[in-house]
This record gives sequence, structure tokens and C-alpha cells, in this order.
Amino acid sequence: MSNYLKTIGIEVHVELKTNTKIFSNSTNGYGKSANSLTNLVDLGYPGTLPTLNKEVVNLAIKACKVLNCNIRREMYFDRKNYFYPDNPKNYQITQFRTPIGYDGYVEIEVDGKTKKIEIEEMHIEEDTCKSTHRKNVTLLDFNRAGVPLIEIVTKPCIETPEEAKLYIEKLRSLLLYADISDCKMEEGSMRCDANISVRKHKEDPFGTKVEIKNIGSINNVKLSLEKESLRQIELLDAGKTFKEQTRRFDNKTNDTVLMRVKETGNDYRYFPEPDIPKLVLTEEQIEKVINTIPLLPDERVKLYKEKNISDVNIKKLIQNKPLSDYLNTLLDSNIDFTVASNLLLGDISKYLNENEKNIYDTTLTKERFIDLVNKISDKTLTNKNVKDILDKLMEEETSIDEILKKSGIQNIKDKSLIEEIVEKIIDANPESVEDYINGHDRALKYLMGQIMKETKGTVNPQLASQTLQKSLEKRKILN
Amino acid sequence: MTNYLNLPVKEINELLKKKEIKVIDLINESFEKIEKNKDLNCFITLNKEEAIKTAEELDKKEVDSLLFGMPIIIKDNINTKNLRTTAASKMLENFIPIEDADVIKKIKDKNMIIIGKANMDEFAMGSSNQTSYFGPVKNPWNKTLVPGGSSGGCASSISSRIAPFALGSDTGGSIRQPASFCGIVGLKPTYGRVSRNGLIAFASSLDQIGPMTKNVYENALLLNEIVGPSNMDLTSIEREKEDFTRLIGEDIKGMKIAIPKFYMNENIDKEIREKLESVINILKENGCTIDYVDIAYIEQCVLLYQIIAMGEASSNLARFDGIRYGYSYENPKDFDDLYLKTRKIGFGSEVKRRIMIGSYLLSGDNANIYYNKALKIRNAVRNNFLKVFQDYDLIIGPTTTTKAYPLGKDLDDAVKSFLDDILTIPVNMAGLPGMSLPIGFGRCHLPIGMQIIAAPFNEAQIYKLGSFIEKTLNLDLEPKEGDKDE
Repeated sequence: MSNYLKTIGIEVHVELKTNTKIFSNSTNGYGKSANSLTNLVDLGYPGTLPTLNKEVVNLAIKACKVLNCNIRREMYFDRKNYFYPDNPKNYQITQFRTPIGYDGYVEIEVDGKTKKIEIEEMHIEEDTCKSTHRKNVTLLDFNRAGVPLIEIVTKPCIETPEEAKLYIEKLRSLLLYADISDCKMEEGSMRCDANISVRKHKEDPFGTKVEIKNIGSINNVKLSLEKESLRQIELLDAGKTFKEQTRRFDNKTNDTVLMRVKETGNDYRYFPEPDIPKLVLTEEQIEKVINTIPLLPDERVKLYKEKNISDVNIKKLIQNKPLSDYLNTLLDSNIDFTVASNLLLGDISKYLNENEKNIYDTTLTKERFIDLVNKISDKTLTNKNVKDILDKLMEEETSIDEILKKSGIQNIKDKSLIEEIVEKIIDANPESVEDYINGHDRALKYLMGQIMKETKGTVNPQLASQTLQKSLEKRKILN
Repeated sequence: MTNYLNLPVKEINELLKKKEIKVIDLINESFEKIEKNKDLNCFITLNKEEAIKTAEELDKKEVDSLLFGMPIIIKDNINTKNLRTTAASKMLENFIPIEDADVIKKIKDKNMIIIGKANMDEFAMGSSNQTSYFGPVKNPWNKTLVPGGSSGGCASSISSRIAPFALGSDTGGSIRQPASFCGIVGLKPTYGRVSRNGLIAFASSLDQIGPMTKNVYENALLLNEIVGPSNMDLTSIEREKEDFTRLIGEDIKGMKIAIPKFYMNENIDKEIREKLESVINILKENGCTIDYVDIAYIEQCVLLYQIIAMGEASSNLARFDGIRYGYSYENPKDFDDLYLKTRKIGFGSEVKRRIMIGSYLLSGDNANIYYNKALKIRNAVRNNFLKVFQDYDLIIGPTTTTKAYPLGKDLDDAVKSFLDDILTIPVNMAGLPGMSLPIGFGRCHLPIGMQIIAAPFNEAQIYKLGSFIEKTLNLDLEPKEGDKDE
């Protein structure tokens, strides 16, 4: 098989996280019973008119910002006319001539190098209704009709299926972090179409373009592009040609399947939407919206590095936005962030997963968390202690000291007290001391066991061990 | 039969207040007159039961405004809750709206009573009310003639004094032209003055709901109640509340009035021009300045209208597909079959003609060649009008090029029917307010109308001049039995 260059462009539709739909006041929700979230506007009843949800415009401004797009200050909506049962007015309101965002980019890491994936444009539009085909009938659920979407279109600048996957991953984390969409591909709140063509040399014109529609998961983005490029290359190598076409990815066969061959360019009879006046964005509005964008992944990585959090933990934190958000509220406090991140990603994360809770639904306030981290850092608490009292830390309002007292965990740290106990144990076990002096290390373990037994585990083991060793060494010298 | 409804609204209101008559008497009179004028075919659906019920309820209440208990006729492209709204199309033959249009909520709040839904051209597409699925409306001045359109049912029934008030809609002259043919007063307000929410769209950027009445004052009264922005219509515009009757009766001395030369060209019926000349003389005698002006592109407006209105219509009417409401072809083979048959059978030929032309005009490069260019020229037309209003208070001219013509004439000449509207369309193109009022009669005692056009939101000026002319001419505008047969 010869070497071919791949050219990939990606279009992503993202449902925006608004309370209501884009052009009506019905609720924007997923998973509700069919046609329960609709009104006359969504159904395209005669006499109804679109209104414009300001929340949608604000989220689109945010998206422009995080995707480094220029933001248009004056724009129109357009009608895209086509007949299909999922399209209640038989036209879709979109932004054809004046997309809100243009000339943006997203940075991805490919083999340790940063690559810019250029974004051609980003526009606002309405979603269609959901149609389900069953034998001879088609069922229509208009809950999705009028859900706000942004469509993000890259330039044909993606060169490998892996890059495509990395782009989608990055896009997803940006939109998720900026609270623009919940980006659930399995629920359809993020949908991906990819265009791919292959050619032999950079100087050659682009090959015949094939569009793969509705790719259902991030992994399938890569897989479908790999399969499709292979298919094209095999055809070309066999001296065959093919027509511009639309295919879909089949989960069962793990390959692309022909949907339709493109005959002529679609004629959508676009024209300016007369029911929505020109939309004008003020600098003030744009600034206000941009100021509400939370810290993005790259910015977080930088901050975490400054706090000496390990790369492994940073990666885990970025993947867990709620915990990352929680940690960000503590960035000003003077605590050991290695301990803090280990705690969050370890025991706390495990607790939250097992109990299906959000960290903000627990009693672990910022103040208690700081207290906890400090107690671990200064060895007041052992990891085992933390595991033992975790439920209480997350579910009870009382202070950590109180919890420790109640649990009988006293973690003796008082040096003189520890010394006293150590002396007592040494005095009571002269043979073991003898063994130690004679170089039998296991005597140390035995003596530690006796200390723990004596204190019922309430002594700080590290401190006790240190004190014990010191005391024994003293005797060794004296001997 | 009583004839209270022939009286000025103020006098009817006095009688109501003095309890000399009841609201139910007015409603009964309306329905008796509807019955008597059945052959005019003014109505598609009557609201008799509900109207009587409402009247009886109102008769227990205090008369609190001039419009209290007044019968009103609604053009059948304005949604009325629980009352069939067909847009005169088979497509919506059985369509019963779930919600009232914004204007309907407003008139119901004023305790006006809807007596019925008026016949019209199908989806408001036509100028002679002959495209209605429910048959043509006839002109009360001569039943062999058209009443004009598309608000023909409203115009014919107001002329017949079936009710004092009607709400029509005007996209290219659909209020003013039938008002002129039937000898009544009809105003198309400034675009954005009245909410379009609940008006079945024909051409969104041109459509506007407006009042149709027997005289100028009552027209202003109804406009007072229907204006105002709506949060359901982004093209509706917020303005300070005003009383549109406030300038009525004021001296017109010193008013500066312009007449576009195009409005007096020789294609316009000589009798109509002569009548307008006599009005011009009256205005001059009463201290108005009158100048003839040129307004560039005004003669192109019919072409612009065809492109813009049909383009928008082709898209607005796409929603009628037999899936969610309205006529639906039974047992189609597939989706395409459902679309094709539903729309083939559900729409009349004029509607289909306009959808096809509109679709063509927006196809491929045509959108750029035609539609977008038309929008540009339209902007220029608006600016040219606004320039005139820097120097003049009002623009006047005839409303129509001819008087009412025989039913059946020019039915198959699609272009001719647009030429009826060459004098009304420029007003829609520029988004201006315009009113037609009767200024006399021509041969065979057929009404002739004139048009008064103002700068955006200057409806009060139109009423000022209109009421002066009305008062000065003092015409008898009730069609008599004798008038009705040639």
C-alpha cells in the first residue's frame, strides 16, 4: 500500500446548557417523556414567531472566547430551507452569512509538540426534533426541536485520525470547563461529523471528499477515520475512483457504511430570517460574559505545577472538573498540595464515587479540608486514620478533633508522653533490647508492636518509631 | 331590524351608557345583518353562540370604555382561540388555534366581541378576494364586482355596517385597497407598531395588522388598543403610549404635503385622479402646501415586492406539510408523497404559484441576484421616502389605479393582479404607515379612495388630515339597496 496524505475537517454540533430553548420558552431538557417539552413555537404552529434566548448568545460568546475565535459584533440569522419530518417549520434558523465566531483555533499536543487546529467558523442554530424510524412508521419527539446548538467547523487542517481524536477531546474539555455544554456524545449533546480525503502528494489537489455523519463516541472518531481512509486508499491503489458521498460509522461492523452519494450541491435557499432583527453585541456585554468563564484546563495545569502537584495528579484533576474546581478554591491557602491532591483523588474520590455524591454535597467544607490536610502533613493523622473516619468527615458537621476523640483516635504526638511509653516498653522487654544491640532488626518491629498494643494504636507510629530508635541507639552506645 | 351599528361609535356608546340599548342588541343586529347580507360571503366562520354569551355577561357590567361591547370582525388569518382560523385555505379548513393572537388578547381585554372570521384571499395572497377556498366576497356597492383584497370580507362587512370594527392585515395593500373599493377607512400601521404574534405569516418583513372602520376617528380608536410591543414578536417596537385621536379636529393650515409624480401617472383611472385633484384644491384652500415630488425606485416596488414577498412566503408556508396540523393527505406512500399530495391538494393555485416563484427566486445564486438585491433597493426606497419626510408632513395619492372591477376579471393574469397594488406596495416596502379613506364616487356610484402616508410612527398626522378631508367632504358612505344592482 502506498503512502497517502490524509486531509480531515471536522464539524461538531454542541447542545448548549441553557434553561430554555433558543427561540421559545420551553424547557431545554434531556430524557423527559416524548413531546413533553414543547410548545406552539417549537411545533412551528401558524402565527408563532421566534424569540431569542439571551443565554444562548452569552454561551456562544463564551465558546468564541475559549476557542480563540473573533467575535462578530453585528449579525443576522438565516433560514435554511429543506423539507424533512424532523424539521417542524421545514426551515431551520441558523447563521449562514454571519456566524458569531470566526478564525479561531484549538491547541492540541501531538507527539510532544503543540499543534493549532484552526477553526473556520462557529455559529448558533436550532436543533431539529428527534425522529425514530420503526418499520412503516416514523415517531417524532419534539423535545429536542429548538434546543440551542453551536456548530464548530474546522479548516481541513487535521492530518491524522489521532489528531482528530485529540481535537475532539480538547474541544470537549474546553466546552465542559467553560460550562457551555455537558458534551455527552452518548446523549447526543455533542455530535461529530468528519470529512476526509486522501492524496499522494502535498502538491496534488485534494482527493474526493467523503463525509462521515453522526459519529457516536470520541474513540469512533479515530476508528472511523482510520477505516475510511483505508477504504479510500485501497480503492485508489486498485485504480478505482469513487464519488463524493456521505457515510455513517457502523458500530457492529466497525466500518463506514454508504448513506448517499452527493448528486449536486444541496440547495437550501438560504435567506435572512425576517422574524429576528439584527443582533448587535456591545463590548460591555462581551466583556461581562467573558469574565464569567471559569479557569480552563491549560490554565489549571499551570497553576497546579506551581503548587508542585505531580503530573499524574494534575492529569487526574483535569479529568475531574468538580474536584479540580474544589481544589481551586484552596489555591490561596498555605497547605501541602501534594497531600491535598492525593487526598482528593484517593480516599475522597473513592468515597464520592461509591456514594454517588458531589463533593459539595458533603460536610467537608473548605476549612475542614484544610484542617485535614494539615493534620496529615504534620503526622497527626495516618492514612489509616483518614480511611477510618472518612465517612464521618464527609457526613458529620462536628470538627475533626471532635471526630477523632469520639473515634478513640488520639494519635499521641506529645513527645514526652511518647518517650514515657517508649521507656516503659524498653524496660519491660530487656531481651528484645539485647537482641537489638546484637543487631537483630526484627526486635525493633516487635517493640513497635508492643508500643502500639500498649497505646491501642493511638500513638503516632512515625514519631514512636523515631523515638524508639533513638532510645535504643542511645543504649547501644552506652552498652 | 335595528340600525344602531350605522351610528357613530360615540353615539352607540352613549346609548349603552344610558342603558337605552344593551350589548346584546348590537350583537343581534350584527347577526341579522350578516344573515341579510349572506350573499356577500363576508364570513368563513361565525362566532354567534360565544358572542351572545359574552354580550349577556357584559350587559351585567359597567360600560367602561368607548369600545365596550362593540362587535368586531377578524380577518381569518389572525388566530382566535377555540375559533376556527383557516386563512381561507383548505389547508387549514379545520384548524382551531389553541391561543389568541396578541391583538385578539388586547381587544378581548377591552371587552370587544368577535362576531366572526372574515373571508379573505387564501393566505392573504390576492387583491380581489377571489382566491379564497370559501368562494369570493362581493362588493356591497355592486354585487357583481370584487370588494378588493385580501381583506375583502372585512371591507365588505364594514361597508355593510355589520359591525363598526374589523381587524385586517396588509402585506402589499390588503387593508387599503379593499377599503378603497368598498368606501371605508383602512390603515396599515408602521411596521413594528402592532405585534404579529398570532398572524399567520405571508411575508414576515411586510405583514402588519391594522384597523378597518367606517370613519377616521373610529379607526384611531381601534389603533389605540392594538399597538404596543410584544415579547413574542421581536420585530414589534416599543413606543411611548399615545392617543391616536389627539390631533383629530386640529387646524390643517400650514401642513406640507407631497404627491409623488408616479402616483398621478396616466395609467391611473382618470376619475380617480380628478377626485384627488379636487381634494388637493380643498387642501390648498385650507392653507396646505402641496408639491409634486420624485421618489426614486418607487416604480420598481412591485418587482421588489414580488421577490421579497414570494421568497418569504415560500418559506413561511413550508410548515404546512400535513404532519402536525392542518390538511393531511391520507395513506401516502412515503414522506415525499405526503408532502406532495398534501400541498398539491391543500393549497389553491395562486398560493402554489407564489410558493413556486418564491422558491425559484431563492434557489442557488438567485438569492443573491434577486432577493438580496431587492433588500438593498428596498432600503434605498425607504431612505428616499424618509428624505421626503424631512421636508413634508405627509404624502398623499390615490390608493388604487382603478375602481372595483367585475368578479372573474383578470383572474388568470397573475401579473395584472399585482399591478392593482402599485400605489400601496411602496408603503409596505418602506415600512411606513398608510391609510385609505373614501373621497367620493365614480361612474356607477363606485367608491374612490385616497391614500395618506406618513413618516414611521406618525399615524396621528394621518388621522389629522384624514378626518379633516372626511369632515369636509361629508360623503354618504352607506351602500343603499339601489346601489347594489347595476
